[in-house]
Amino acid sequence: MTQASRELDVRPILRSGGEPFSAIMQAVNGLGAGQALRLLATFEPVPLYTVLGKKGFDHAAREIGDGDWEVLFTPQAQAASAQPAPNGVAASGWPEPVRQLDNRDLDPPEPMVRTLAAVEELQPGEVLCALLCREPVFLLPELGKRGFEWLGAFEADRTTYKLLIRKGAQPEAAQ
Amino acid sequence: MFGASLSRWTMSYFTAALCALLCAEALMAAGVGFPSQPLVAPLTLVLVHLVAIGWLSLLMSGALIQFVPVLVAKPLAHPELPVVALALLLTGLGSLLLGFLGMAGFSVGSMPWLPLGAIGLAGGFALNLWNLGRTLWSARPVGLPARFVAAGLLSLVGVVMLGMIFSLTLGGWTTNAAFLRLTSEGIPFHAALGLGGWLTFTAMGVSYRLLAMFMLAPEAEHRSSRIAFLTGTMAILVILIGGPVCLLIFGQGVIPPLLAALAGALVSLALYGQDIMRLYRTRKRPKIELNARVFAWALGSLGLAVLLLVAVAALGPTDRQIGGVVFLFAFGWLTALGLAKLYKIVAFLTWLECYGMLLGKRPTPRVQDLVDEPRAMPWFWLYFTGVGAASLAMFLGAPLVFRGAAFAMLIATARISFELVLTRNLAAVPRAMLPGGHRAWPRLHLPIL
Repeated sequence: MTQASRELDVRPILRSGGEPFSAIMQAVNGLGAGQALRLLATFEPVPLYTVLGKKGFDHAAREIGDGDWEVLFTPQAQAASAQPAPNGVAASGWPEPVRQLDNRDLDPPEPMVRTLAAVEELQPGEVLCALLCREPVFLLPELGKRGFEWLGAFEADRTTYKLLIRKGAQPEAAQ
Repeated sequence: MFGASLSRWTMSYFTAALCALLCAEALMAAGVGFPSQPLVAPLTLVLVHLVAIGWLSLLMSGALIQFVPVLVAKPLAHPELPVVALALLLTGLGSLLLGFLGMAGFSVGSMPWLPLGAIGLAGGFALNLWNLGRTLWSARPVGLPARFVAAGLLSLVGVVMLGMIFSLTLGGWTTNAAFLRLTSEGIPFHAALGLGGWLTFTAMGVSYRLLAMFMLAPEAEHRSSRIAFLTGTMAILVILIGGPVCLLIFGQGVIPPLLAALAGALVSLALYGQDIMRLYRTRKRPKIELNARVFAWALGSLGLAVLLLVAVAALGPTDRQIGGVVFLFAFGWLTALGLAKLYKIVAFLTWLECYGMLLGKRPTPRVQDLVDEPRAMPWFWLYFTGVGAASLAMFLGAPLVFRGAAFAMLIATARISFELVLTRNLAAVPRAMLPGGHRAWPRLHLPIL
């Protein structure tokens, strides 16, 4: 089952001022079942943990000198789906939300404003649940920039988008 | 699932596009091109390409660079490529216009402007096509709005290829018999693919998502939308493949493929109109904002243009009638749609750019606080009045009336552009609400990040 991990060194891309995200996603999509990805970067790629976490990868990071980092992304044993739904959260160990927001009937971009205001009040580790009427494409990068983790998907009726947001233990690390 | 962020170069595309529109309207007011001159005069070509490429295509490209990632919730494949494309498109357009001016007898030097223009434009469009195509491809399976955009991009491939053939032939770089035949007879294909396939079909796809988003209407995919997509795509393919085959292999004229495509396009547009009316009816947002109101007027112009097109096709078209229909299509529908959406999009992007990082951390203005709709509305009225009068003047063959109406459009467009500048400058935001506490004149019309 376990294969040798694949290595991706994005340091040249980063040093030349480029954006390695698409290269990383290509590498992740090209991984075999159970295969891990060894990523080399010039900084600790914290926002990536959220993204790949949602794709079913655990991470282990270590600094390898000169400010460079090596991160090993290993597939979780239970990672059956690359598009986790909110109901999969219990399995990933997130606590019950401390607060619910129903933003479905608000004029855009009020749902984004209200959600960001509410998540600022979360304590580390706490989870907030927001209901929206569409996928909040502009909110998600903003959450990533602020170091929040999130899980989101449409409910079965395809009209309500349920978004769970967790404040990480060290939100400043994302900066 | 990754979300979308601001596109760094979209505002530059919008600025270049608005400059081209203002130039074109000034030329029309000055009596350049049809109806003061013949429909096929080189100066009419200058005007047509300034509008079709400089204004509409740059506007659409800038909007797609921002909104294709929103449609498919994936980041743009190559975020820095659009600036290279913009440079190529602008130099290509400049060369093309010089080429047409040369054809009109102006002294423009001995450079092969037309072929150079075609190469620049093809290069610029190809880069954007590659970028947007890869972004769409990476997000498969994509929803219906994104499939409309994909079909529109396919149409753009056809427009660019035909344009290349015309330019190389007119520039004297080739004497290939098939190219000569296409150049002498294929202009209706070029125009139909450009205005219908690339600009209209793409705008239809984007509007399904944006209108629903801005008006809080449910986004369910209906059967009518799927049929609108299929019939519209068929119309594009009929012209793209059937047109040249009919012309070059079967030796037929351009009429059979054009009529077949028109039939498909009529079904597609009728169903699209029905879908949009459903969006308006099922919206949760009670107040219709300026952009949605102007969009409704633009849609009315599209309906009128289509009815006139059918009437003109049935009666046997004259230059005046073709000019009138194309004018109503380009200015009553596409330009009005573009100005209305710019009014909303510029405010939204500016708001997100200036306040994104501050949201939730301190009080911020709403998007609506960046604009003054009651102040802008009369200028949109003036614009539509100008378009109505100018279309009528074209049908009736009254060039002087047309020039007056074009001047009214120019004034209205200039004022709407000024409103956009004020929005970008956060002019309506009270000092206490400014992002840094002071009125920094942000990177307004250049790269926004």
